[in-house]
Amino acid sequence: MDKAIYIAGTGMTRFGEWWDKGLKELMDEAMTAAIEQASCTALDIDTIVVANMLGEYTNQQAHLGAMAASLLPHHPPALRVESACASGAIALNTATALLESGRAETVLVLGVEKMTDVPTEVISAGLMGAADAEKDAPSGLTFPGIFGLIASRYMYEYGLTREELNEVSAKHHANAVQNSFAQFRTAIPAGKICQSPLVADPLHMLDCSPISDGAAACVLSTKFASSFRLAASQIATDTVSITDRETLTSFAATKEAAKNAFTEAEITKDDIAHVELHDCFSIAALLNVEDLGYAEPGQGIQLYTAETNCSFNKSGGLKACGHPVAATGVKQIIDATKQLQESGREYALTHNFGGACASCAIHIIEHIA
Amino acid sequence: MTSPSVYHRAQQNLQHKLQPGTVLALTTVAHPPAGFEKGARHIALIQLQDGSNVLAPLTTKKDVTIGQGVQPRLRLQQVNEQGLRIYDVSYEPGVLVPAKEVVDFPGYIVALSGPSGVGKSTVSELLTSAASDYVARVPIVTTRSQKTGDNDEYIYTSKTKFQEMLKRGEIIANTTIPSRSEQRLYGYRAADIEAIWLDGKIPVVVTEQQLLQGLANHFGRRSILSFGLLPPGKSRRAMLSQLLHRLRTRGRDTEASIADRMKNAENDLDFLKQKKELFDYIVVNEHLDTVIESLKKHVIAKNVYLENNS
Repeated sequence: MDKAIYIAGTGMTRFGEWWDKGLKELMDEAMTAAIEQASCTALDIDTIVVANMLGEYTNQQAHLGAMAASLLPHHPPALRVESACASGAIALNTATALLESGRAETVLVLGVEKMTDVPTEVISAGLMGAADAEKDAPSGLTFPGIFGLIASRYMYEYGLTREELNEVSAKHHANAVQNSFAQFRTAIPAGKICQSPLVADPLHMLDCSPISDGAAACVLSTKFASSFRLAASQIATDTVSITDRETLTSFAATKEAAKNAFTEAEITKDDIAHVELHDCFSIAALLNVEDLGYAEPGQGIQLYTAETNCSFNKSGGLKACGHPVAATGVKQIIDATKQLQESGREYALTHNFGGACASCAIHIIEHIA
Repeated sequence: MTSPSVYHRAQQNLQHKLQPGTVLALTTVAHPPAGFEKGARHIALIQLQDGSNVLAPLTTKKDVTIGQGVQPRLRLQQVNEQGLRIYDVSYEPGVLVPAKEVVDFPGYIVALSGPSGVGKSTVSELLTSAASDYVARVPIVTTRSQKTGDNDEYIYTSKTKFQEMLKRGEIIANTTIPSRSEQRLYGYRAADIEAIWLDGKIPVVVTEQQLLQGLANHFGRRSILSFGLLPPGKSRRAMLSQLLHRLRTRGRDTEASIADRMKNAENDLDFLKQKKELFDYIVVNEHLDTVIESLKKHVIAKNVYLENNS
C-alpha cells in the first residue's frame, strides 16, 4: 500500500427479504449507519463507489452511482462497479486506487442488491450473467448447477462424501446464531443438510447461499484514522466459462490474489486470525480454504471438522448471513473488523469472488492496537 | 439463447459439438432458469475428442458416470417466442462400435487401374516377369474374340457360358465394355485368384471401375493393393493426347475401336480423380523401368511384411 488507508466507519442492513425496502432505502440505511460510526461527517466524503450486479435486471434500475450520491447533501461524485458476486470487493479495490493515487481522501464504498422483487427462475437466469452467456448458459445451467458440476468432480477426484460435505453448512449456520445481521440465525444439524430439497445434484438447498436483499457500506479514508487499516487489496481474474479451465477443483484467481495480498501485507497465512471466505455454495468453501493455502488439495473438509487457530466464516458466511450479491464483499470487511475487535488479534482476511471465481478480490485488514 | 442472431452464432459451433466425448462432471439442475423447459435437467461438462470442453444437456442420467464416453445427438431444445425452433447438441451414453468386417482377410491382390492405352497390360506383364517369385497374373475371362497380339492373359468364352459362371458365383468381378460392334464382357474368377495365393504368390489384376469395385466387394478393400496408372502430361488434354498417340502406335486397334477406347479413357481419368480412396498409389507411366521398380518395391515390401506377420 502506497498510503495508509483506514476503515473509518462501517454499517449495513441486516440481510434478508426486505419487501418494504427498495434499492434506495437499503442504500440509505447502510450508508447512514457507516457515516454515523465514522470519525468523519457525510460532507467529508469525496467520492462514492457503488457495487451492484443486477439493478437493471431485477429492479429496472441503472445509474446507481448518482442515486447513492443524491442521498448525501453535497452530491459527491459517484460511480458504479460491477463484477458479478465480487462487485463489493472489487469496488473496495477501486476505492483503494482512488485513495492511493490521491484523487480522493475519503471514499464511501456501498454494496447493494435487491433480489427478492422477481421470481426465482428470473433471478437464476440473471445470475447466469456471471457465467459465459454463449458457452455456459445455453445448456440450461444455473449457478447451483455450475457448483454441482464442481462438487461432482471434487467428490470424484478426492472421494469427499456427502456426509462430510454436510459439515460445511452446519458449521456456518452454527456460527450465525451469534450474528444479529445474519439472514438465518438457526443452527441446523449436519444430518439435515442433505435432507433438504435437491437443487443441483449433489448440492441441496442447504448447500446454497440464499437469495437476499441487503446493503453494506464502509468509509475508507487516508485522512481520518481508525484502529483498522487495509494492509492489502488485490484482485485477480480467470476465464469466465468453466469450459476453458484446466481444472474444476481449484480456483486459480484465488491463489493469485492470495499470493499477491500476502506479499503486499508482508505477512503469511499463519498471521491471519479470521478469514471470511466466499461460500456461495458449501463446496466453494472447501476449494477456498485449499486455494488460500490452509489445506492441501482434497483436505479442506478437515478445517470444518477440527479446531483451528484461525476462524473461518465466523459470521456465518454467505450461507447463513445471506448473499445480496454485490453487498457481500463489503459486508465481509465489516464482519472482519468486528471479529478483530472482539478477539484483539492482528490480521483478518476477506475473500470474495464472482461467478465461478472468474473475478476474485482479497483484502487483508490490520488491527492497529 | 432466444434471440435469432445469438442462435445463428451458436449454429456455427454446432458442427464442433458433434463429436464424441468423455464426461468430466455432471449435475441435475432441479429448477432450470427462465426460458427453459420446466423440470429437472441433466447437464454435463464434457471433454470432446479434440480436447476442448463443452457444457451440454444429457438426454439421460441413467448409467452415466464421470469418465464415461458419450455420443452427440442433435435435439430440439426450445421454441422461442418468435417460434424459432432451437436445436442444440445433447449427449448420451453409448460407445462407437466399429462396423463388422464381413470378409475375413484372405491375402493381397495387386490391382492396376488406368485409362485404356496407359500401359496396364505391359506393366502387369513386365512386373510378373521381373518379380515372378512374388507375383502372378490373373487371367481375364472375356467374351471378346481373340486378336493378334493377345497373349496368355485372356480366357475366351461365350456370352452364355460367361453368364452361367456369373450366376454360379464363380466370376466375382465383371464389367461390360461397350463398343460399336458388340457388348464385351470381362471378368475375374475367384478360383484363379485363390490358386495363385495357394501357390504363395500375389495375384496381379488389370482393372477398371467395375472390376476394382467387384474385387473390393468380394475380398474387402483391405485386400487390394491398388495402383492407379496415369499417362504423363500436366493437363487432362495432354494426358488424353498421349493415350491416343500410344493406341495408334501400338497398332492393335482400328480407328473406330480407338475412338471407343478414348471415350472410355475419359471416364477412367475422371474415376481416378473422383474415387481417390480406391487407390493406394497413383503412378505416372512415363518411364516404364521406373514404374516397374516402384511397383516391385511396394509389392515386395508388402510381401515381406505379410511373411513376417503371418
